[in-house]
Amino acid sequence: MNEVFDTVTHEFKSQILQRKVASNELYLTVENDAVIAICDYLYTHFDAPLVLMFATDERRTAGHFNIHYVFSFDNEDAFIIIRIHVDEAAPQFQTLTHRIPAANWYEREIQDMFGLTPVGHPDPRRLVMFEDWPQGCYPLRKDFDINSTPERVEGEYIYRRVEGEGVYEIPVGPVHAGVIEPGHFRFSVAGEPILNLEIRHFYTHKGVEKLFENLELNKAVFLAERISGDNSMAHAVAFCQAIEQIAGIEIPSRAKYIRTILLELERLYNHVGDIGGIATDVGYYAGAAHANKLKEDLLRLNEALTGSRLLRGMNTIGGLRRDISQDTILSSLSTLQHDFRGLMELLLNTPSVVDRMETTGFISQEIARSLHVVGPIARASGIGRDTRCDHPYAAYQELDFEVKTQRNGDVFARTSVRADEVNESMKMIEQALRSLPEGDIKTPVRDIPDGCALGYTEAPRGETLYWVMVRDGRIERCKVRDPSFCNWLAIEYAVLDNIVPDFPLINKSLSSSYSGNDM
Amino acid sequence: MFNILKKTIKTGIITSKYPEIKDDVPEGFRGKPQILSEQCTLCGDCAAACPSRALKLDHAENETVLTLSYCSCIFCGRCEEVCQNYAVKLTREFEMASRTKDDLVSVIRRRS
Repeated sequence: MNEVFDTVTHEFKSQILQRKVASNELYLTVENDAVIAICDYLYTHFDAPLVLMFATDERRTAGHFNIHYVFSFDNEDAFIIIRIHVDEAAPQFQTLTHRIPAANWYEREIQDMFGLTPVGHPDPRRLVMFEDWPQGCYPLRKDFDINSTPERVEGEYIYRRVEGEGVYEIPVGPVHAGVIEPGHFRFSVAGEPILNLEIRHFYTHKGVEKLFENLELNKAVFLAERISGDNSMAHAVAFCQAIEQIAGIEIPSRAKYIRTILLELERLYNHVGDIGGIATDVGYYAGAAHANKLKEDLLRLNEALTGSRLLRGMNTIGGLRRDISQDTILSSLSTLQHDFRGLMELLLNTPSVVDRMETTGFISQEIARSLHVVGPIARASGIGRDTRCDHPYAAYQELDFEVKTQRNGDVFARTSVRADEVNESMKMIEQALRSLPEGDIKTPVRDIPDGCALGYTEAPRGETLYWVMVRDGRIERCKVRDPSFCNWLAIEYAVLDNIVPDFPLINKSLSSSYSGNDM
Repeated sequence: MFNILKKTIKTGIITSKYPEIKDDVPEGFRGKPQILSEQCTLCGDCAAACPSRALKLDHAENETVLTLSYCSCIFCGRCEEVCQNYAVKLTREFEMASRTKDDLVSVIRRRS
């Protein structure tokens, strides 16, 4: 780890204004002119993905905004965070999207929320705030009052157009059939095959990052838990870990193991639910019914263990709020394993199901890498990244497990990755239960010092990141990056050359969250 | 087809006759919080700890009022955790649907 830190520092010595190492995070404050070259170097020379990009408003304390670029060094379990200052008088920065496409949405988000313009961005339209939001009103600036209600203005969003003989548009959403959240999908088609898809989300922006500001830390855990309803554990643990990192708290070993068990239980019900959704979308209702039965069994197991079907209310800074009884899981684990095997046999022995899944919704490894697609979607396109393995947290270092990948990048590959992960998760839960240490579940927490740190987990949907800054025992800034923020754009590529009726299936196989994205 | 039939018959009926037959929730379920007014001292610890501001303590001219709104409760159980007089309990009750919001508020008043 230190070797990489030293190499990078040495390479750009003259452009580095400030250097700080905190645990596995290296912060480099650099000259604005040098940032593109440095980011490009980390990205191409070390193959380090840009996992997060965000701004902070530090005008009151330091007199300027900061923009942070977070790169993950998977082999070294390290993060390099490049930081630049941006003055209020010249509220702009150079775009990185041309070099690193994954920067696209982050830069547009910064533009909407902070009023800092990414100069040269290939798509400078608004992203998070819509056209009815007034100009010059930036919610994440500290001088924006959370209780204010800006006036609505007129404005129009211009979609990309595909023109030609026989080409027509199909607008889908934002309101969909079924109880799901809003999102707009605009297809350009010639007959059945899809020529182009443009997605537009962020219809239910809730201002979560603003809500975090000035919040007491132990209350913030509950907010984190509710950002993406079915990834509660992953969000709560990532948030708690960031605070624990700032305060240097080592949580008890038993708490680490229980967090791991609960995180895997969350993966189980999500993956089984997704597999059931895929069965529904190929019209195989018998398979879907069995998957839903299994999902219900898993939710009831969660309820019996934690008092909440969605595993809520378990985490606190320093460990856990409740202990669990290990007999409850052990007794049901083998039945669950057996039922899941039966479910997969039912699906995979049905040729009409397999036929719908194979070659549908292809995402190449190159696209997945450029957009920084994460989680099972990336692993189905041959990218073996997994936070549990690359940046171990909780008790993952002590468990024996494999990161399952596939190479075909289609719906079938994504379903197979999920099925393999379900089996691995069950093994991991069993291992963790067998070696579950006795003892406390919470380390006493005193005052949390000022500071900042990253917290991260591998949610069922993939890498989830929190960057939290604490000042005077309250949250100064909490940046949340749900895996869906990275994965949504992949659907624009996955549907190309597919037929419209396969869209629901492709969408389900990506299983991105609206809520985690529209924060 | 034969496999589907076999599995369907083997699985049998798994849905229950709810609501005719009551559905039991396990021990430790995070259900409707209840305030035991005899034990409550109206100290306000629960209101201070409540992350969703479902619990509020108001000081009127000559009375103190503790209001618990089930509309905003997230069943986290922080109130139960911080209460030093064991006056708040999360019960196993979950059938809380109501026609009016008034039914979803629990109030404790005391003259001061």
